[in-house]
This record gives sequence, C-alpha cells and structure tokens, in this order.
Amino acid sequence: MEQNWQLDNPILGLVVVGATFVLFYIVGFVSNRQSKSAKELYVGGSNVGAITNGLAMAATYMSLATFLGITALILQLQVPFIMLWIQLILAIPLITIIYGTSLRRMGAFSPTHFIRDRYGTTASIIAALFMILVSIMYALGQMIGIAITFETLLGIPYITGLFIFGILIVGYITIGGMAGATNNAAIQMVIIALMFIVPLAAIMKAIGASGWYFPPLLYSDMVPAMMDALPTFFDYQFSPKWYFSIIPALTIGALGLPHLAMRVYTASSLKSARSAMVWFAFILGLVFSATYAMGFVGVFATTTQGVTISDADADKLTIILNMVYNPEWVTALVIAGAISAGLSTLSGNLLAIGALISQDIISTLKPNISQRLNLRIGFIAIFAGGIASILLAINPPAFLVVSILWAFGLAGVTNAPLIIVGVWWKEANKFGAIAASVVGGAIYIIVSPFVFPSIVLTGHGVTDGMGLSGAMLAVPISFILLIVVSYITNRIPSLSGKLTKQADIELIERIHGWKDIKAYRYNSTIGAGITVVVSAAVAIWALMPWGM
Amino acid sequence: MKAYKKEVQFTIWMTAAFILVGNVGLIFSIFPVDAMLFGFPVMYIVPILMGWFGVFLLTLVAGKIGNRIDDEIERENDTLGNADEAKEV
Repeated sequence: MEQNWQLDNPILGLVVVGATFVLFYIVGFVSNRQSKSAKELYVGGSNVGAITNGLAMAATYMSLATFLGITALILQLQVPFIMLWIQLILAIPLITIIYGTSLRRMGAFSPTHFIRDRYGTTASIIAALFMILVSIMYALGQMIGIAITFETLLGIPYITGLFIFGILIVGYITIGGMAGATNNAAIQMVIIALMFIVPLAAIMKAIGASGWYFPPLLYSDMVPAMMDALPTFFDYQFSPKWYFSIIPALTIGALGLPHLAMRVYTASSLKSARSAMVWFAFILGLVFSATYAMGFVGVFATTTQGVTISDADADKLTIILNMVYNPEWVTALVIAGAISAGLSTLSGNLLAIGALISQDIISTLKPNISQRLNLRIGFIAIFAGGIASILLAINPPAFLVVSILWAFGLAGVTNAPLIIVGVWWKEANKFGAIAASVVGGAIYIIVSPFVFPSIVLTGHGVTDGMGLSGAMLAVPISFILLIVVSYITNRIPSLSGKLTKQADIELIERIHGWKDIKAYRYNSTIGAGITVVVSAAVAIWALMPWGM
Repeated sequence: MKAYKKEVQFTIWMTAAFILVGNVGLIFSIFPVDAMLFGFPVMYIVPILMGWFGVFLLTLVAGKIGNRIDDEIERENDTLGNADEAKEV
C-alpha cells in the first residue's frame, strides 16, 4: 500500500530550507560584488584555493541524485549500480591530469573555449550547442527534482514550488557568478556531507548496527541478515561487457562535462588545481561510500525490518528512512541537504550555459563587443538558462527528461574526444572534429531508446536508457572519425588553406607549458594508430550481441 | 625531450591506473572471487575501498609527479632561453 511520505509539520522544513537560501544569497552577494569581467564571472578570477575548490568540485558533481536517485537505483539494480557509481569519482582526477591543467594554463573559460581556439568557429558552435543540450538536461533534472521535493515532502504544489524556488535559485546564481557559486558550493558540500552521514548514523543505530559511528564503511554486521533475506543482493548480475561499457559511457563521458571542467579553471595555480583534486577524491569517496551504505540500509530495512516502500517512492528512500527512524527536525535538515545538492549542481550547469552562450557562441560570432557588454550578456545568459529550465520543467519534453547519466554519454561522444585528442595530437583538425562531433552525436542519439525505440543495442531498458550501450558504440566511433578524417584532410593540398596548422601547433606547445616548438612533440602517428585500432575493436564489440 | 617523454608517459600510465582502480568491479566480473573481507564479500567491499582510498592515493601521487614534471618543463625552457641568449651574444 502506498503511503503519503510528507512532513507532518511542513513549516519546519520550509524554515530550514529558507535559512539555507538566505545563507546562499548572502555568500553569493558578498563573493561576487566585484565581478567586473567575464573571467571573474565564469572562473572566479582564477584564484580559488585548493580546499574550497576541492569541496566545490565535489558539491558540483553530487547532484540531487545523491539524495534521491542513486538510492532508488541501488534498491532496483543493487550491487551492479554501486559498481557503476564508484568510477564516477574519476571525473576530476582524469580531467585534471589529461587536459585540465593545460586548459587552465591556456586561460579557458569552458571546454568549448579551447575547441574554438583549436578547431575554429564552426566546430566550437556545434560542440557548444551539444554542451548547452547536456547542461539543460542536467539543469532540468535538478529543477524538476527540487520542485518534486517541495511537492511531495513539504506539500507545496509543483508549479508553485517550481516558480518560487526556481526564480530564487536562478537569482542567487546570477548574483553570485562563479565566485559565489564556488563559495556556496563549498558550504553546500559540508551541508550535504553532514546532512547525509549524521542522520544515516542515527538510522543505523536505530536498526541496531554496531558500526553506526562510521556509517560509510562499518555496516558489515548487517551482511549475514541481508544474505539470508536477499541472497542475490551482492550478485554482479551482468557480464564483463556491461561493466566495461561503463568506461566509455561514464568515465570518458564525465571528461566532456563542461561544469566539472570549469571548476579546474577556477584554481589559483596548477599546483592548487592538483591539490583540489586530492580534496575532491577524499570528500567524494566519503559521501559516495555513505550513499552505498544508505542504499544497503534501505534494502536491509525493506527486506528485514518490515519497512514498506512502493516502487513509486523508491527515489525517496533516504528521506523515508529518516522519517521512519529519526525525529522530524532531522528529516527537515536532510531535505535541506538534498536541496543543497541540487542547488550546487544547478549553479554549475547554469554558469556553464552562461559561458557557452555568451563566450562560445555570441563572442565567437561577434568578437568585438566591449567587456562591459560581454559581462552583461553573461549575466543575462545565466538568468535566461535558468528561466528556460524552469519553463521546460512545467511540462518537460520527454526526450529531455532522461537519465542524467545518458547526458554523460552525449558529452563523452561530442566533446571529450575533441578536447583529449586536441590537447595531445597536433594533427587533429577542424574537419575531424566536426565529423566526430556530428556523426558520433547522431549515432548516439539514434541508438538511444528515446528517438527510435526499436533501434537499440541491447533491449535492456536501463542499459540503453543510461547510454551505456550507445556510448560504447559512439564514443570509439567519434575518436576514429576525429583521427582518420584529420589525418586524411591534412594530406589533401586543396584543403590546407582552410586549416590553421601553425597556430594549432603553437597553441598545443603553449598549453603544455613549452616556450619553443619541436616537431616531435604531441605528433605521434603510432599513438593515433593504436587509438584507432583499440576504438575499432570496442565499437565492433558494442555491435555484437549483449546477451541481456 | 626528457620532460616531454615523462609528461606523455605519466599521463598514459596515470590514466590507466585511475581507470583500473575506479573499475575494480570490471576485474571481478571477469575473475570472480568468493571470499569475505572485513565482514563483506570481497567483490563488494574491495571496489568500494579502491574507489575511495585507491583513487585518493593516486591523486596524491599524480599531484606530486604532475608538479615535478611542470618544474622540469620549466627548467628545459630556461635552458632553451639561456642557449638563445648565448647565440645572440
């Protein structure tokens, strides 16, 4: 039987959430009152310290899904979903070592800023349009999630919550810019960690777990009861191919997400960016492990403790466990934590949309506008992106409301190969980049279950829906097209006038820190060849039967 | 040449190490293990521990080596600058 999971005293929840909003507004206003240029608006003047940045990176990454979506999927998919989620921690470390420090050295605002300088206007506008789609899908997910949280837990009608809180959120992000978003995200990370882990400790104590004082790892005394009640919980269920597909879809996918990469550019120095990745790994590992524990406790509570959660309520698992085992004021704090998680991600998305529209599209098409006008367009773009996501959330188009994880794959297909190969191989050119982004992106969209439901690779709903199968085919194709098309077009004399080879070479040497140019650097045909062969093998494997 | 080689090798090996440590589940899906560790099935807790502490340790190593390679590139740039100055004289 379905239960109505709502706070008995919604005023309590509203007061706590309202207090956090006041805090975020003050921090945003104070942090950003001196934003005088686009550089300050989008990368916080590139002077953010390592700890603040590491916390902000983690908060930007941890969306509302940490509180709402993941635990539901653990409830459904059990251990395979935990295995899938674990590698998401690689995002910032891999961005930092593969291209983040190079783009920070270049002074990029967004990943597409690099694509513009490296491959020219057309390729950068195509990449920017894909990135805006990814960012809007992401932002829309958060906006809908926040409105649903207000509706189901605090009893505020969906549309009312969407407009009131949506506008409040967009307002604070626009006022705060990147400096405000960074400081707020660091605060939000502390709120998320505390509001997730401390209540979890109380839940574990109530259930009788002896390791309640460190919830992320100390719940093994519940394992025997779990194995008795649900012996399949720890089963891997899927083949190695499924686990392998996580790498192109999510590990490489995360490398193309603009709002994550932008965090690296805010660092005060390259050393600081590298220290930030250490803080990121530590804090994200802590909260991720607590998330798995929450999922485990949820499954444990439903299978052994008589707690009933209907399928429709599965995504509210974290909140429901708090309602069952903790006092109401604790649940109010958890709701504030969930909203904070949504806000930090949303602010990253909206800043990315702002940078993409104003820097990567408008400034590319009209390079001579004044700094003042550029900054004003930036604020308008952030605000317009927010309003667009509110309006889309009223009656969201089905294709936009897909799993956020599917958006990872789209970023991995259309953006990541262009940046990775562009940073490490001088031969990559605009023809290759355009072919990779357009054809790779089209293949990924075609084999997704959202456009042509009959053209899918596995027929297993969650695998196709999360983009695992599609990305395993489209990401390698994108790498192959970029390398092969570039290699061939570089050798067609009639096209050489349309390429900027010397400028590309100088850019690559400079962003790696070199003051001179050497022909042997970043020019390996063997490396490119190996990438093509490995990519071809992966793409062929993706086309073979999945057996699901 | 030396710093360039180090930079490329560091990026390739470090990327491989990160992907491996973050995807221990893939390894266990190929080579299943039926044992317990700290009260959990090995195939459950090892990927979680590696996905936290393994990645954390690698970020420490990657940060240190990355900084050192930056310094080496800087030193090679300086040598280059000195050679140019010598040529001008």
